[in-house]
Amino acid sequence: MDDPGLDGGSGNTYSLRASVQHRFKSSTVKECIHAILKEKLANVQYIPNDMPQLTVSLSETIKDRLKEVGFDRYKMVVQVVIGEQRGEGVNMAARCFWDADNDSCAHDVFMNDSLFCVVAAFGCFYY
Amino acid sequence: MEDFHPHNDEMIFNADEAHNIVKECIEGVLGKADYNHNKVNQWTAAIVEQSLTHLVKLGKTYKYIVTCAVMQRSGAGLHTASSCFWDTTTDGTCTVRWENRTMNCIVNVFAVAIIL
Repeated sequence: MDDPGLDGGSGNTYSLRASVQHRFKSSTVKECIHAILKEKLANVQYIPNDMPQLTVSLSETIKDRLKEVGFDRYKMVVQVVIGEQRGEGVNMAARCFWDADNDSCAHDVFMNDSLFCVVAAFGCFYY
Repeated sequence: MEDFHPHNDEMIFNADEAHNIVKECIEGVLGKADYNHNKVNQWTAAIVEQSLTHLVKLGKTYKYIVTCAVMQRSGAGLHTASSCFWDTTTDGTCTVRWENRTMNCIVNVFAVAIIL
């Protein structure tokens, strides 16, 4: 089987599986997200006007970081939700219709006394 | 030759169509309900599952990711953003916001084309 990682171009490889070393690993992704959240949000307070910018920059940072990890031939989606911590109830759910052999997701939650942040990252293999 | 083009409009992800599907699902599930801690888990699951089922039934060659967040309304803020690394010519996304007296609901749909 061809190594799908070797073809850097946009053409199809017709390979039906991601190679082991380039697979979208939940644990690796979760570590990445965790590190970024810890770094960026450690002492951040919830200031309504800053939040739109912060959510966007966080999602961009995480996406760029994941691109660097080298999940070849994966399309990636990073979703960031930041909410004010006021004791309100929140519930999130996700369902995916995809190829469970190759595609995967990871999530991480960060909380401090002023805000909570949930990040979900999804990787879809591009054949 | 155009007839054989794999990306005719019928096969491509249509955000408006997805928006309507999701909106109906949310209304079906949350309807006139009030926020209830014991039921919210079941509600979010029902919303994503029903939306996904309807999207898949469109029969397009896409992989779908559907996320849903329901938050109790208490004057607290909620922000969401997403970044995608994909082919913008085929892949698409759609966000639906819904709210009633006691809760806010945000559903995101991401559609990733399968091209073989």
